[in-house]
Amino acid sequence: MEKNFKIIDETGLHARPATVLVNTASKFGADISLTYGDKKVNLKSIMGVMSLGVQQGAEITITADGDDAEAAIAALTETIVSQKLGQ
Amino acid sequence: MGIMDLFKKKKESTSDKKGIYAPITGRLLPITEVPDPVFSQKMMGDGFAIEPTEGKVYSPVSGKVLNIFPTKHAIALLSDEGHEILIHFGMDTVALKGEGFETHVSEGASVSVDDLLMTVDLDAVRPKVPTLITPIVFTNLNEKTIELQKTGPVTHGEANILEIK
Repeated sequence: MEKNFKIIDETGLHARPATVLVNTASKFGADISLTYGDKKVNLKSIMGVMSLGVQQGAEITITADGDDAEAAIAALTETIVSQKLGQ
Repeated sequence: MGIMDLFKKKKESTSDKKGIYAPITGRLLPITEVPDPVFSQKMMGDGFAIEPTEGKVYSPVSGKVLNIFPTKHAIALLSDEGHEILIHFGMDTVALKGEGFETHVSEGASVSVDDLLMTVDLDAVRPKVPTLITPIVFTNLNEKTIELQKTGPVTHGEANILEIK
């Protein structure tokens, strides 16, 4: 399953929020990826996420595949909203 | 042995170097002393930090450049030994949007130990950020940890600064 978000954080997906997001994703067994434009990375890899250089205003998609995909998407949504990272 | 032989020999041995060498001249500190919990609590991984006295970042390993952040304040490397290393110059430096930073390598470039990666104008950057302390994080150590062999003054290219256990 997948869900789209728009990044509202002024400094985009930088070190601090990227780390929180990766830590949340890593708790789940599902395969989780982050897509930005034509680039797709493993959301459990901090290097992968930061290499995207996602800026404020960017539209991203999170995709999860696996038994706990739904729970993963819910948790990631919660993280993104509570961190005021995106909507 | 002529003078050219000396230079040739040095270059060859640098590119074969294994291990981790100091990337910046300054003061070497444990990563736990970085004033930001994302780094001090090793949320991205274990590592070490340097408070720079010189605005130059050199490669700590032989390997390749994975990524240079658009804002030029951070570089990600992949060492020949498989370590993913993130060098994040200063805290909150992303907000400077590249001003004061100059990079000397491109993404995908091969690097040798002590190759110059980036130059930072310390005088321009220092007043705009909380600190210049630069964490160097190993993001894929898994269960292994970094054990610093020394702290305090360090010079770029210096060997034997840490062990990975």
